[in-house]
Amino acid sequence: MADLRFYEIWREAVFVDKLLWGVLTSVSLTVLACAVGLAFGLALALARRSVFAVLRLPAAGYVETVRNTPLIVQLFFICFGLPTLLDYRWPFFVSALFALCLNFAAYYAEIIGAGLDNVNKGQLEAGRALGLTKREILGRVSLPQAAAGVYPSLVSQFIFLFLTTGIISEVGVEDLTWAGRYIADRNFRDFEVFLLLAVLYAGLAVFFRAVLTAAGKALFPWWRET
Amino acid sequence: MTDFLAVIVGDFYARMLVLLLSATQWTIYLSLTAFVGGGLIGLAMTLLRIAPVKWARLFSAAYIWTFQSVPLLMLLFLIGLGMPAFFKVNVPPWAAATTALTLFTSAYMSEVWRGAIQSVPAGQWEAGRVLGLTFAQSLRYVVSPQAIKIAIPPTVGFMVQIIKGTSLAYIIDFNDLMRWGKKIGNSQLDGAEPFVVFPIVAAIYFLLCYPLTVLSRRLERRSGGEKLMVAAKGVNVGG
Amino acid sequence: MNFWDCGVDLDGKSGKICVDIRGMSKWFGSFRVLNNIDIAVSAGEKVVICGPSGSGKSTLIRCMNSLEQFQSGSVTVCGVALEQDGTNAAVQRRVGMVFQQFNLFPHLTVLENCTLALRLVLKLNADEAEARAREYLSRVRILEQANKYPADISGGQQQRVAIARALAMEPELMLFDEPTSALDPEVVHEVLETMTDLAATGMTMICVTHEMGFARQIADRVVFMDEGAILEVAPPPEFFGSPQNERCRVFLSRILN
Repeated sequence: MADLRFYEIWREAVFVDKLLWGVLTSVSLTVLACAVGLAFGLALALARRSVFAVLRLPAAGYVETVRNTPLIVQLFFICFGLPTLLDYRWPFFVSALFALCLNFAAYYAEIIGAGLDNVNKGQLEAGRALGLTKREILGRVSLPQAAAGVYPSLVSQFIFLFLTTGIISEVGVEDLTWAGRYIADRNFRDFEVFLLLAVLYAGLAVFFRAVLTAAGKALFPWWRET
Repeated sequence: MTDFLAVIVGDFYARMLVLLLSATQWTIYLSLTAFVGGGLIGLAMTLLRIAPVKWARLFSAAYIWTFQSVPLLMLLFLIGLGMPAFFKVNVPPWAAATTALTLFTSAYMSEVWRGAIQSVPAGQWEAGRVLGLTFAQSLRYVVSPQAIKIAIPPTVGFMVQIIKGTSLAYIIDFNDLMRWGKKIGNSQLDGAEPFVVFPIVAAIYFLLCYPLTVLSRRLERRSGGEKLMVAAKGVNVGG
Repeated sequence: MNFWDCGVDLDGKSGKICVDIRGMSKWFGSFRVLNNIDIAVSAGEKVVICGPSGSGKSTLIRCMNSLEQFQSGSVTVCGVALEQDGTNAAVQRRVGMVFQQFNLFPHLTVLENCTLALRLVLKLNADEAEARAREYLSRVRILEQANKYPADISGGQQQRVAIARALAMEPELMLFDEPTSALDPEVVHEVLETMTDLAATGMTMICVTHEMGFARQIADRVVFMDEGAILEVAPPPEFFGSPQNERCRVFLSRILN
């Protein structure tokens, strides 16, 4: 049996550079896509619950389409299909980020929507009995409670999505997965490289979960698990 | 590539569709294998996870954690590229894809099922115990009938994630729908531009996934949604 | 003084009508939950509504602040005629309500629960809102818990906060929907004492409750409902001493023994 030669990975400075940049790129792209996805997802969730069919149906169609097709197909369509169709040229980095945002939004829309639906009916009635308007009830009562209720799901989803972002290396975005493939193509130590990447991804997932869980405790000090 | 070009004669789009659909069967086979294999391992892990033996629980927890925290793409690379390079063995793409997806599926499935079992009130276990049932009997006759009802909708829902997950296997040269979609999209042929091919590929995936999504939702509604939120917590998976 | 068709003399109350319901009915689909309700409550009056579960008593008071819609008849609250099948925010602002499940906002502190509507609905500034909220919290004797979250105080305390939250809006009418039914037995009295204190201030109160001791003590009239209809309305002595309606008699004998 061959021996493990991890040192082949940090033998060259450029390899280490690529890895560090890869981590930064993966993390920042995921965080960015998550932020945009949350905002767009909230809009989609509200649109799906609108009384107007012109808002409801497109939102539902969008969410179902994205959730029932693979990210990689969406990514290829946005990176290779749309530019020729609409005749524009974006760096793949931007297209990939765009694809991630659109993808995250659909998953977040579903979770946020479930959170809104699960807010206790008595809470809405209490709001109405105090004379709050619909908008005030949504902003001051429903949304904060929905956010706290689905926060653990949002965190899990965030981490799951983070673990899928490696696919953007396929369109040449120099993320962590791309760095691994770059190194493996040059030192031929595929096993060690991808083992290291697996550990890095898992470690980042642990890190994210710890940070986000702590953030959740700070954000929702009133929340009690039922 | 030559046989592919040979096929592109006559009715262009009909040929393209036939090609994509015949590639789709491999997507389906891979999904089914991963579901069955992952389900079996996942079931074993679920049992270990709740077993009254500490090392079993620890082992299962470590297993589930590992394969939930390592990206599917890394599993594919490790098994499809890393293992052949390291152990100097030949791992055919289908074997690598099946193994990676099975490991991925087993971890998430057992997390779903553990959630389902835990959402059965602890009082049910206690009621079994005071009646003199053993752990296995309580599980078999009291808890699992209730847990299965809770677990079925998210299990069906997870099949969608498996199908979507198989789309990554093309990276290690597994000949599925995605691989052929990409080949045709790269072919530079008139009428097979990426903006035509990928929507078709997406539509085929959608036709595979959407019925399962609808079924899962319908089952969920029938058995009352709230508990399922709990069962599905941590396994709201996408990608 | 019998022109409200309720068949009861209002006995020296101010005479200003606070709630006036005439021939009101409500359906859930084809099921008639409220059947031709006639009742008038004058300002300052205390009315207790009782009846078996499912009799429509909660639904009736929820119609009074427009939480539920009705389909026929008329409902006038605080001088505002409610629309059939409509919601009226103006009335909701002038009517306070206390729920069985408290319905405090779990994400806001006790103080914030009280100031939220003062700021959003009554447009008080932050200082005015806080001052007023503190005043009402101290009136229900819970000011020291002002900065806690609802989950960190007892059920009885939560319900008193809910009362303070409603009172802080300075409503013309207070509705209580089984305010003690979700409480542990040992804290029921704190909420009832708070309500008794409130009654002494002259507030118009309509309470759905099974606390018959409370009803005897503060009610001007007690109403018995069953199957969506009002079957008996009388001042406590008559109501408990010689109820006219057979079902009311049976109900009373069950809950009083």
